[in-house]
Amino acid sequence: MELTINGKPREVTDGATITALLEELKIHPLRVAVQLNLEVIKRERYEETTLKSGDKLEIITFMAGGSG
Amino acid sequence: MRDGTVRKEKEMEKSDTLKFAGREFRSRLIVGTGKYPDYRLMQQAHEASGAEIVTVAVRRVNLDRSQESLLDYIDTKRYTLLPNTAGCYTAEEAIKTSILAREVGLSDLIKLEVIGDQRTLFPDNEGLLKATKVLVKEGFVVLPYTNDDPVMAKKLEDAGAAAVMPLGAPIGSGLGIRNPYNIKIILETAKVPVIVDAGVGTASDATIAMELGCDGVLMNTGIAGAKDPVAMAEAMRHAVIAGRLAYLAGRIPKKLYATATSPIEGMIE
Repeated sequence: MELTINGKPREVTDGATITALLEELKIHPLRVAVQLNLEVIKRERYEETTLKSGDKLEIITFMAGGSG
Repeated sequence: MRDGTVRKEKEMEKSDTLKFAGREFRSRLIVGTGKYPDYRLMQQAHEASGAEIVTVAVRRVNLDRSQESLLDYIDTKRYTLLPNTAGCYTAEEAIKTSILAREVGLSDLIKLEVIGDQRTLFPDNEGLLKATKVLVKEGFVVLPYTNDDPVMAKKLEDAGAAAVMPLGAPIGSGLGIRNPYNIKIILETAKVPVIVDAGVGTASDATIAMELGCDGVLMNTGIAGAKDPVAMAEAMRHAVIAGRLAYLAGRIPKKLYATATSPIEGMIE
């Protein structure tokens, strides 16, 4: 199925949960925040949240940057 | 003499701490993670700075190329992460970014930036105040990056900001503390900690901020952009401690004419 992840289309395994998606993308779940169709999903709900074709996801992390 | 100095430094580290929102830090220096040539050097600079709070940006994960994670180079047991909303130009963007940052780091701390102009990176006062109000209501510990404007600082404090972070000069400019008088007025009126954020170019700038009575200094470019970031980080550590000690010690008043240091009595005739 095709999802939009961080603004770009991406083909992933059908019926994946957020946990499975992060695993597929090799992303450490404790280092990101996930927003699904504008709703922020808490970590404890990754396992139970099943994605469907057309879903829009934002996967956010901490990066270098500091101002000052 | 040296022993005495070291002892005083140790004592100060124990009792004189930076406090806000129920948290306590021995170091009054906050450092950034941007602009370092590589993460290893950043890690060494953090170590040398003695800082306990490190600010980080909040961005989309890069899916297309495997790259080292910043978080591999920050020991989160040792450093408190302070996510910032750098790059946000509206209150809405900054609020959204803060909420996501809280999910990443599971902490309510946010260094709030709402930028009003790309060239100067000066804050947008209206947006900043609006975002502060919303985020305080949402339970965040809000540390807003603001102009060196005492009126604005007061408004942010009244809105529930845990500290105010006036700029010394534009971000990354290295121009130092351009308006020490305004910072002084902010210090007189604010009940929350005042942390100078942005503008520090070299050690003396940090010392000046601390001598004024600021509670802390945040800097990134001043260290990361130096020829030797690790050495500059160490310089900044000393500069902040020196400035704080001088502030606590109480400087002599400035006078136009000389005051003799040696006694007049007993002069050889």
